[in-house]
Amino acid sequence: MPPIPRLRHDSPAMKTDNVYHITREDWLQTTQGDPRGYIQPAKLTELWFHTGTTCNLRCPFCLEGSKPGDNRINPLLFTDAKPFIDEALGMGIKQFSFTGGEPFVIDEFVQILGYALDHRPCLVLTNGTEPVLNRMEEILALREKPHPVKFRISIDYPDAARHDAGRGPGNFLRALQALGRLHRYGFDISIARQREQGEDIEKVDRAFHPHLEEVGVPTDINIVSFPDFLTPGAVAKVPEITEDCMTRYHTEETRDSFMCNYTKFVLKKNGKTRVYACTLVDDDTDYDLGGTLKESMRIRVMLGHHRCYSCFAFGASCSDT
Amino acid sequence: MTEVLTVRNVHWYSDGIFGIAFERDGIEFVPGDCLALFGADEQTSRPYSVASGAGEDTLRFVIRRMPGGDISGYLAEREAGDRVKISPPFGWFRPGPRDDGSPFVFLATGTGISPFLAHFNSRPVAPPLQCLYGVRTLDDAVDSDKIESQCDLRMAVSRGDAGHHHRGRITDLLEGMPCATENHYYLCGLDAMIDDVSQWLELKGVPITHIHRECFFNASYSTPQT
Repeated sequence: MPPIPRLRHDSPAMKTDNVYHITREDWLQTTQGDPRGYIQPAKLTELWFHTGTTCNLRCPFCLEGSKPGDNRINPLLFTDAKPFIDEALGMGIKQFSFTGGEPFVIDEFVQILGYALDHRPCLVLTNGTEPVLNRMEEILALREKPHPVKFRISIDYPDAARHDAGRGPGNFLRALQALGRLHRYGFDISIARQREQGEDIEKVDRAFHPHLEEVGVPTDINIVSFPDFLTPGAVAKVPEITEDCMTRYHTEETRDSFMCNYTKFVLKKNGKTRVYACTLVDDDTDYDLGGTLKESMRIRVMLGHHRCYSCFAFGASCSDT
Repeated sequence: MTEVLTVRNVHWYSDGIFGIAFERDGIEFVPGDCLALFGADEQTSRPYSVASGAGEDTLRFVIRRMPGGDISGYLAEREAGDRVKISPPFGWFRPGPRDDGSPFVFLATGTGISPFLAHFNSRPVAPPLQCLYGVRTLDDAVDSDKIESQCDLRMAVSRGDAGHHHRGRITDLLEGMPCATENHYYLCGLDAMIDDVSQWLELKGVPITHIHRECFFNASYSTPQT
């Protein structure tokens, strides 16, 4: 491979002004020396916010390592989020999405969500337990906003004992009841669950139906399943993604569906609000793409994180589509 | 931001329950906030609700020493001058007066009294209509005299001598509790009590928006421990 110029711009023939923000060889190549697969972001249509890694639960499998009082990713303030919401609006954003931690443990979260809902539809990922119940009055007031909010509640398995083993006793029922309440109050809802290797996806989804019926929720709600992403900083032995893989196994259409093509992830670390490539790579500072959305959209996302392989192999998307 | 606090003292209320007070060191909090307190490895932590008042010069926690509990055991053995790693304050439970002036009621079991103690110690002029407090033994009751001096305290003692209090469970006291749809109810304690009381209140017509919950678990899965 020829020497790589620092901050390389693509050829003038390309219409975009693409740059690499890292020029290390191991960033641009796989360990075998092949050009690493990448996504060149096209247009920002969804902006995610990490509200912080503090949570009311301490689930041992949490991909964010969230737990009560955790500060790996700092609690998001309204003044942190607003400039990015405003910048995104100028870039043609279609949706704002929020994840944690548990967003509803963050004092200013409802204020942030309210501001976002003044402008665009929103998606909130939540565990559906105490913090949601405690702030139901504020949540109900969001129905008056010009755009709708959808809640996706984590219910790991259609089995109370398995769910509660990770999330605490009684929390299966609490999450289910929160789902029912939010539906009755007129909010759009969905479920996030864990996906196991080799499972029959439809069969597992169907196993949720009796529970949904119990709390008056239609059985055709969206159920999004995710593979095990491991905890932050984990080292996973997965195949490396080369440029060749991205053309051999993916089409233009499927490449476009990678989240790093159309989303960015805003989070606060060490007191600074930064833009990361996607919701799954916030444990690796190589995916810190800068301090503004415009800047971040120019940067080519190299698919070098072990969680990139999940998107490559399973089409994992944190969005609710 | 301070990440380590100095222990001022450890005080035992009963065989199983102790209070640990730290030098405040300028930490701001509101009643209902927790801090994660770390154990000897400075990696493992448990959240505990602050029990002291916002105007006090110490930060105090009421903790049950859990059998085999790494963190509670470590904290129980601290002495004045020891240093303990902490997280910044955080919380999602805000017991106390509301902007619209609605009356409110507290219900706690065990060390779940902590966020309410923070309220009593911070806002002595804003008492709840009633405070229902469930303890295992009379010795486990923390600062009950102070609570009784500020509001109508109803205590349930589940084991041993109950004195002039009710011998039984906190749920036995619900029928005598002020119950109105405009009241707000703040519940803190074990998950089973929280669920039972929430269900009872909803059956009485209290809207879910008036039921505020802080739940902890009596199992290896634990959060928060208040």
